[in-house]
Amino acid sequence: MIRVALIGNPNVGKSLIFNNLTGGKAHVGNWPGKTVEKKVGECIYKNVKMEIIDLPGTYSLTANSIDELIARDYIIKEKPDVVVDIVDASNLERNLYLTLQLLELEANIVIALNKFDIAQDMSLEIDCGKLSNLLGVPVVPTVATTMEGMDELKEAIVRSAMEKKKSRPIKFSYGREIDELIARIEKIVRRDKKLARTYPPRWIAIKVLEADEEVLKMIEKSPCKHDIINLLKVRKWAIS
Amino acid sequence: MGDKLEESLLEGVETLLAEKRYELIGRILSQVLRGEKLLTLSDIIDKALLNKYLGIPVFLSLWWALFRFTFDISAPLSDLIDILFGKLGEAASIYISNEQLASLIADGIIGGLGSVLVFIPPIFFLFFGLSILEDSGYLARAAFVVDRAMYKLGLHGKSFIPMLIGFGCNIPGIMATRTIAEEKERILTILVNPLMSCSARLPVYVFIGGAVLGGYAAAGTYSMYILGIVLAVLLALLFKRVIPYFKGKPSPFILELPMYARPTLRSTVLHMWERGVLFLKKAGTIILLATVVIWFLSAYPWAAVHAGEEPDIRASYIGLLGHKLEPIFRPLGFDWRGAVALFFGFVAKEVVVDTFGVLGISSAEDIQQIFTPVTGLAFMAFTLIYVPCLATIGIIYRETNSWKWTIFSIIYELVLAYIVSLMIVVIGGCLG
Repeated sequence: MIRVALIGNPNVGKSLIFNNLTGGKAHVGNWPGKTVEKKVGECIYKNVKMEIIDLPGTYSLTANSIDELIARDYIIKEKPDVVVDIVDASNLERNLYLTLQLLELEANIVIALNKFDIAQDMSLEIDCGKLSNLLGVPVVPTVATTMEGMDELKEAIVRSAMEKKKSRPIKFSYGREIDELIARIEKIVRRDKKLARTYPPRWIAIKVLEADEEVLKMIEKSPCKHDIINLLKVRKWAIS
Repeated sequence: MGDKLEESLLEGVETLLAEKRYELIGRILSQVLRGEKLLTLSDIIDKALLNKYLGIPVFLSLWWALFRFTFDISAPLSDLIDILFGKLGEAASIYISNEQLASLIADGIIGGLGSVLVFIPPIFFLFFGLSILEDSGYLARAAFVVDRAMYKLGLHGKSFIPMLIGFGCNIPGIMATRTIAEEKERILTILVNPLMSCSARLPVYVFIGGAVLGGYAAAGTYSMYILGIVLAVLLALLFKRVIPYFKGKPSPFILELPMYARPTLRSTVLHMWERGVLFLKKAGTIILLATVVIWFLSAYPWAAVHAGEEPDIRASYIGLLGHKLEPIFRPLGFDWRGAVALFFGFVAKEVVVDTFGVLGISSAEDIQQIFTPVTGLAFMAFTLIYVPCLATIGIIYRETNSWKWTIFSIIYELVLAYIVSLMIVVIGGCLG
């Protein structure tokens, strides 16, 4: 069975896609210990069974809200086989922000470019092949309201799960100086084997720089804490 | 020093990383996206209404228009209800033979509750106007505009939505703070929410302002709402500065703006009714109960009060209480009747007007005998600022889960109400 998580900004049509994939049959409960709704459904495509988990709608994956924490913890700890990132094609700029964060989390992503019809009505032309190349992940145009692109999406999910090439994560650059800093923190983090096994080290490095509360708490407990602090102290003046 | 991973080491890096990501997205889009994104009508309207300089003036003017509308359209209807209750009161005192029962019905229930029910029209029209602003999609923009200013001041972005809701009623306003994940930002927002002028204060503004401010009654009411917002922002800033618990910078947030839509009459009326009916329910329960209690306190001891030709309320329990309280409020220019009205107003703000009604103060002339324009305005400000109602205290306790913050909110509101009212009286006195 393939485990598939759906993620996306609020109002991108995520629930509709969930219903389209699962036929509307869902097991509804709460995330453990939280008052946030959790929906799980099933989908069978070409004899492959998929479990579909609906993650909370979020704009980002910081530690600032319960929704975002649930989404990112699920992706990190439960490691779903495929994460379907539902992107509003008529509002790419804002939506791709989440996509970049998912790439940093080294999730196995398939992008569903939803509301494709609305983008066309706005006379936007989107080169899906090019987008797929640049991000290194499959991109499927969809229209959830009319169920267009649903078979293509299922196909892409199944193939992505089979290949599971870890989507050959494309490392994008934050500029030479910050890239170098990220690389050095990453190297320090890798020395804490336990930490590096659970979380992508590069992601940890980036989150340290973002002063992410949860990640800083983990670093507090890690033996590599002092090295990171020393590095940052020296660098503090250089960054600004 | 040295062994804590401090956020100060990382100041500014987060925004730098976010900028870089958007730069990258920009580069990707330039390769992937062709065609001009057509501006929708919503986008064009937003260009004007969300403009950096026009945003706040537009918000203030629309708010002003809302109040003019509420006042102008409801005044004749309120007069009608007033006349109706007047006649009812007369009939009750004529046809009910038992003296005490007649007093309960005529002075207590009809005089007290009647003076509150006169405000059905302004409250319903206020909600009607608010529903139009909400259904059209403007209210979300108002939140965005004010919020942008608040964020610059260092307050959390999500704070303004609970505050907007507070204009209807502080209780759902305070519950709406649950959307704020950061605990200290949430508590800060809860603490200042009671300063948002809820609909229960409106009767007091109209009652007092209408009598002593004359043609400036709508302006007086409008200024109370603005005063509430300004005080909330100032207090929040002060608390952040002074109380160590609240230190720290606010986390940014994203607010999704719905498309503009033409509000339908059906949904607007439905919205108005849903909210307005809560006022009616409150009038039928807690305010009615308060009325009976206040009437009792004002009519007994019966023999003492009714010793002379005319009943003398000063000899009643409420009169005694009023005279005990009066010295506290004398610097503000409120007499014993104002003092007891504020005292019972703890239960709910409508009860302030209710109390005046039971005490036989209902016409503009009656009010002008107790208040000058300046002390009237001070009384309105006091009503705005001090504890909204018992239920709000309850909800503050439930949402903060702390007696410390609950008591803190009661005390700061009382002190602030006194200071601001005193300032109005002193400055008003200087200006003559």
